[in-house]
Amino acid sequence: MFRISVAVCGRGISKMLSSSFSGENALPSNLRIPSNLVDHARAKRPPPPSDSSLPVLRRCDAAVPVHLSPVQTWVETLERRDSKLLGLVDLHPDVFAVPTRIDILHEVELWQRNFKRISHAHTKVRSEVRGGGRKPWRQKGSGKARHGSIRSPIWRGGGVSHGPRGPTSFYYMLPMKVRVQGLKIALSSKLAQDYLHVVDTLNIPTPDPQYLMDLIRYRHWGESVLIVDAGEELPENILQATESLKTVNVIPAIGLNVHSMLKHEVLVLTLEAVKFLENKLLWHDERFTPLYPFKLPYTDLP
Amino acid sequence: MSFTKKPGGKALDILQNLPRITLANLRPEPGTKKAEKKRGRGQHGGNRSGRGHKGERQRGNRPRLGFEGGQTPFYLAIPKYGYNEGHSRRAQYQPLTLNRLQYLIDLGRIDPTQPIDLTQLVNGRGVTIQPQKRDYGVQLVGEGAGIFAAKVNIEVQMASEEAIAAIERNGGIVTTGFYDPRSLAVLCKPVPFFLSGQPIPKRMLPGEDMVPYYTDAANRGYLADPEKIQKARIALAQKYGYVLPDISKDELFHMLFMRKDPRQIFFGLSPGWVVNMTEKKILKPTDDKLLQYYNS
Repeated sequence: MFRISVAVCGRGISKMLSSSFSGENALPSNLRIPSNLVDHARAKRPPPPSDSSLPVLRRCDAAVPVHLSPVQTWVETLERRDSKLLGLVDLHPDVFAVPTRIDILHEVELWQRNFKRISHAHTKVRSEVRGGGRKPWRQKGSGKARHGSIRSPIWRGGGVSHGPRGPTSFYYMLPMKVRVQGLKIALSSKLAQDYLHVVDTLNIPTPDPQYLMDLIRYRHWGESVLIVDAGEELPENILQATESLKTVNVIPAIGLNVHSMLKHEVLVLTLEAVKFLENKLLWHDERFTPLYPFKLPYTDLP
Repeated sequence: MSFTKKPGGKALDILQNLPRITLANLRPEPGTKKAEKKRGRGQHGGNRSGRGHKGERQRGNRPRLGFEGGQTPFYLAIPKYGYNEGHSRRAQYQPLTLNRLQYLIDLGRIDPTQPIDLTQLVNGRGVTIQPQKRDYGVQLVGEGAGIFAAKVNIEVQMASEEAIAAIERNGGIVTTGFYDPRSLAVLCKPVPFFLSGQPIPKRMLPGEDMVPYYTDAANRGYLADPEKIQKARIALAQKYGYVLPDISKDELFHMLFMRKDPRQIFFGLSPGWVVNMTEKKILKPTDDKLLQYYNS
């Protein structure tokens, strides 16, 4: 009912550009996607209209700033294959509508890749290579070049002068607020580009992985889906269904991270996951600097 | 407010029509990543690799910092004098202006309806105390005495006369108390201390040099005679020219007169008790010797 047959990239930006100046109505060449990689049947849903008849299932818990208003999106269900919309949900603008900063996403992605990295590359120095204590031949008179050891870096089989030395750690921590901002930007960009879907619960009728693939295919969600639930206990059916699937993954909300969100095309959140994320991510906007590590108890820690 | 900004602004509108943000689309802001200078490679990095021409500079044999070629260096030519003698043993008191105190109360970070302690100040992030760096607490400084208008029961480690006058003029109470370094660490960060499972220590009395300060009524010391303190309040009011308000008729009279025992660190908790935060229990000692020690 809300499908508008508009091609994903081309027409939208052309409408935007044509209002400011005429003539150029195509995307720049580095942003055009070849047609075999674009799913034309996937139409971008416009945001829910303000006069929609669907009930609002969840309002924002935290206070929304006076000059902003909550973003709204639909709530779907996974019980049936066809998409029946259950209602609307209010999302806090300071989590789901923050301005996009690709450089922060880049920083957080690099950090996620590198802070765990320990490079075990190790080479032996001339003193560690077996042998080479004795002078190979006398200094003068043999007609050969002068050498002190057969394991010097000039020699074949000798030590490496400036090679990697032992396990090296690439550990560093980005400030906590930068990492939090990265999560917020990733969530906002998923919502803005229509790759975010909110679902009421993760109860599916069968543990069959084919059911999930059919559902995703039917609804034209995308190639890879990341499903997020709030608590640790996830329903059996969905765990079994996604166990054998490579492109569909379920994680608890504490495991949400920028790398996984960017790697998977679509993000599916439950209502509890939305509540959990808003609670955790909004606290950092108005907290004191830590007096002692956050691992120890605080009265206002969510 | 009738004017509502669209959350995210135009950036999110434009984003709707751009390709999906993926791992392949991320890049840093142009100009943030400057390429590292590779020594010993290429036309500009090679040749002498930025080391100069011959001599100690190129050969890495320069003398130590401060060496002046044999001339008596500056740091040895200037004679010593006891400016910094024993600097690391001197007590430091972090200043707290009345301006800052009023700011904290106005923003709601400090609650004036409860006694204000160093713990409350640190919890509201009003001051930063480092007990390990010879900080012995906080000193109340008179800057902002003109605008200060809050009735508080405040306990600090030192206070200037103007600050005492400003607080008493508004109907509050100032007390100066001494905390030895271990008690100060416990007072500033109570949660890590309680989690360590140690019993609350008893506060030590001040050393010889600070006893005259804390027994003096003019400084509102906690070891001073209460009658002398009352006389000092009246004298200060006369000196600064304000009418001393009668606190005994106040509704918050009970809170304003709450004072700590000289051996007590926290209100409501005695030395010797162990606080268990996970099970929300307090354990008190029963052995005679321990009771004798903690009550002395």
